[in-house]
Amino acid sequence: MSTINIGPLRYLEEPSQISIGQNGEGLRSFYQVTAPRDIAAMCKGRPAEELPRILTILSPSHHIASAKALDNLFGIRIPPAAENIRKALGETLTLIHHARKLLFLLQSSTNPPGTRENLRIAVPSSQRRTVDEIMKGIAAFQEAAYILGGRYPHPVTVVAGGVSRPIKEVHKRRLQEIARTCLPYALRLRDIFSETVIGNGWYKPINISFRPVASITSGETENEVVATDKTGAEAARFAPEKVLDTLEILSEPWTYLPFVHEKGKTWEGPLSDKTEGLFFVGPLARLNRATPLAAPPAEAERQRMIGCLGAPPHFSPLAGYWSILVELIASAEKCETLYSEENLSGTETRVVATGSGRRGLAAFEAPEGFVCHRYEVDQRGLVEDVTILDAASENNGLRSFLTQKIAEEAFAAGQPWDQAKKTIELSLVPF
Amino acid sequence: MEAKKVAVYAATGCRACENAILDISFQVNSLDRFARFEFWPYLLGSRLEDLEKPGDIDVTFFTGAISTECDEEAARRLREKSKILVAFGACAAFGGLPGLVNLQQAKKAPEGCEDGTPELPGLRRRVATLHQIVPVDYFVPGCSPPQNYTWTIMQSLVCQSGAAARMSFAASRLPRRIARSVLSGVLPPSGSVFAGEKAVCASCGRMKQEKLFASLNRIHRIEPDPLRCLLEQGLLCQGLATREGCGGLCTGAGLPCRGCFGKAQDIYDAGAKMVSAVSSTFDTTEAAEMQKIAEAFVDLAGTFYRYTAPAQCALLQTPESKRPADEDFEAAGGACNG
Repeated sequence: MSTINIGPLRYLEEPSQISIGQNGEGLRSFYQVTAPRDIAAMCKGRPAEELPRILTILSPSHHIASAKALDNLFGIRIPPAAENIRKALGETLTLIHHARKLLFLLQSSTNPPGTRENLRIAVPSSQRRTVDEIMKGIAAFQEAAYILGGRYPHPVTVVAGGVSRPIKEVHKRRLQEIARTCLPYALRLRDIFSETVIGNGWYKPINISFRPVASITSGETENEVVATDKTGAEAARFAPEKVLDTLEILSEPWTYLPFVHEKGKTWEGPLSDKTEGLFFVGPLARLNRATPLAAPPAEAERQRMIGCLGAPPHFSPLAGYWSILVELIASAEKCETLYSEENLSGTETRVVATGSGRRGLAAFEAPEGFVCHRYEVDQRGLVEDVTILDAASENNGLRSFLTQKIAEEAFAAGQPWDQAKKTIELSLVPF
Repeated sequence: MEAKKVAVYAATGCRACENAILDISFQVNSLDRFARFEFWPYLLGSRLEDLEKPGDIDVTFFTGAISTECDEEAARRLREKSKILVAFGACAAFGGLPGLVNLQQAKKAPEGCEDGTPELPGLRRRVATLHQIVPVDYFVPGCSPPQNYTWTIMQSLVCQSGAAARMSFAASRLPRRIARSVLSGVLPPSGSVFAGEKAVCASCGRMKQEKLFASLNRIHRIEPDPLRCLLEQGLLCQGLATREGCGGLCTGAGLPCRGCFGKAQDIYDAGAKMVSAVSSTFDTTEAAEMQKIAEAFVDLAGTFYRYTAPAQCALLQTPESKRPADEDFEAAGGACNG
C-alpha cells in the first residue's frame, strides 16, 4: 500500500499529521498525534497538591479541574470568594481560548483552503487591522488571567481549598476596566464573523456535514454529567463519580493521543466507519443541547445560527466555529458580572485541608470541552495513579473520522492534497 | 536592512511558548521591517523538508523537550540551518515538565504497528534538552517565558542594532553583561541566558526573618503568612536556588517557586543547594527530631528538579547527556547544564 503524509497540521494544540494510505479497497486516512505527553509518568510520585501546577501542560483550564479534584480528595468545601475567583478565571480562559480559535479562522481567511501556498504571520495590511484587534483583546484577557491566576498560560493560584490569595483593590479596578471592553469586543468579533466568514462566503470550505455523533457535557450543576444522543436528546444523566465507569480509554500504536469512547457500546475503534459509542465534547456539544442562553446578545446570536443552519443538533465545523462565537459572547457578558467589585470582594479565599482521602475526582466543563480528573494517592498524599480525560482525547475519534471524510471527498474530486490539508486543518480546530 | 529570516519549532511540550510568541504578534507585526517568519509548523504548516531549500535561517526559536527521534532530527536540521539557535522556554532549555518522566523507569521502544497502519516517530529512552543534542547559542528560560523577555529577545536577536529605541527597551530588561553587548550592536556571548543573574529571592517581595522551622509544611495544609518568606514558613520554595527573571510571580501569588527558570548562575546543583539550605534551618540539633523533620519531605527529586531533571540534576547526568560542548559553555559562564 502506498502512503503519503500530509502535515504538520496548523493551529492544533497537538503536533499532528495525516497519513493517507491507498490500496485496492479504497483510501484510509490516519489522524496521527506525533508528540507524546506521558501525563501519568509526570504525575506519579508527585505530592497530590502539586498536580494543579503540573497539569496546566494540558491546558490552563486543567489547573482548575485539578484543584477541584483535590477539593474532593481532601473533603473541602471552598469559600464563596474563592468560588467566584475560580469562575472568573474560568470565563477568562474561555474568552482567550475561543478568541484564539476565531483568530486562526480569520487569520487563515487571507489563505482560504487551497488558494495560497503560504500564510505569512504578517498578513496583508487590509487584514492586519482585524488580526490586531483580536490580538489586543486577547492581550487584555491575558492580563485578567494574570491577575486572577497569578500567571498565564500556566496559572498557579487555584489550589486545594480555594485560591491562594484574594484580589487586590488595584487589580479589581483593572479588572473592571477590562470588563467594560469584553462585550464590545465580543460583538465586534460577531460582526467580523458575520461580514467575512458568512458574508464573504469563507465558510464554504468548512461547511462540511458529518454523521451525527453523541456528546457529553456537564449538567446544569457540576454534580451532573449529561450524555446526549445523536439526535440531541438527553440519553443519560449521571454523577461525575460514574464518568470513568461509563467511558473507556483506548490507545492505538499509530498515534500518541488515546481515544475515549463509551464503555459497553459497539464502537470498533478509530478505523471503523461506525459512530456507535463515539462521542464528542466542546462548544458545539454544549450548544447542541439546545438550551436557551441567559445572556441576550449570545441568545440572539444562537438564534441567528439556528436561522442559518437549522435547528440543533448541528454536525459541521462551521457550526463548531459559530458555537465558539456564541459562547464567547456569553462569556464576555458573564465577565462583566464576574469582574465586579462585589463578586471579587472577600478576603477568605481558602480553607486549609484537614482531611486526607485516598481518591479524588472532579468533572469540569472547560472551554475546550468536558474534562475529568481522578487521582489515587497513598497515605502520604503521593500520587499512585492518575486518569485524565481531556478534550483532545475525547474528540480524537471525531477528528479521525472527519479527517477520513474530507480525505475521501478530496480523493474522489481529484483535489490536490495540499488543498485537502488546509480544509482538514480548519475543520479540526473547533473540536 | 534586510528582514531576518526567523523559524519557530515545537518539540515535545505544550504550545505555551509558541503562543507566547504569537501573543505578541500585534507587536511582531510591527517587526515586519526586521523579521520574516520562514518556518513555523504550528502556524505555517512548515515541514522539515522545507529546510532543504537554499538559504539560511537567521534566528530559530526552538521550544519543547527532545523526546522523539523526530524532535532530535528537527534539532539537528535547524542547528545546521540556523545562524542563531535559541532554546526557548524551560522544556528546550532544561527538559521542563516532560523531563519529569526521566525520574521514572526508562520507556520501552514503541511496539511495531500493524500492517497498513502508519508508524510514529520513535521514542528516545530519555527526554533530553536541546543543548544535549546540538550546541545552543542562547537560552530563554521560563514556563513559559514571560512576555517581557519574549519581546526583549525578539528585539535583541532579530532587530539587533536596527532600532535604537527598541534596543534601549530591550537592554533595560537584561542582565548588565548581555545588555552591554546588545547596546554595542553585537550579539551577546554564546551561551547567555536571557534572564537575571541572581536568585528569585532577590526579586521576591517577601520578608526574611532568618527564622528556623520545626516542621515541613505542605501548601494545602497551611494558609501562609502573605508577607513572610515561604521557606521560613516550612514550605519548600525553590527561590533561593532558581535564576531570577520572573519577578517572583509564584511567590507573589502565595505559592512556592518551582524553579522554571533553572538554577541560579553560581549554583552547581539546585537540589543539593536546597537540601543544604533547608537542613540548615531545622529548628533542632537533636538527631531524632531532625530525622522526624526529614521524613516529612516527600518527592524531593520531583520538586527540586520539576523543570530541570534532564539537564541540571547532577545525579542523573550520564556520558550521553553531557556533551563536550558543555565544557565550552560552562567556561563561557553559562549555567544551563549541570
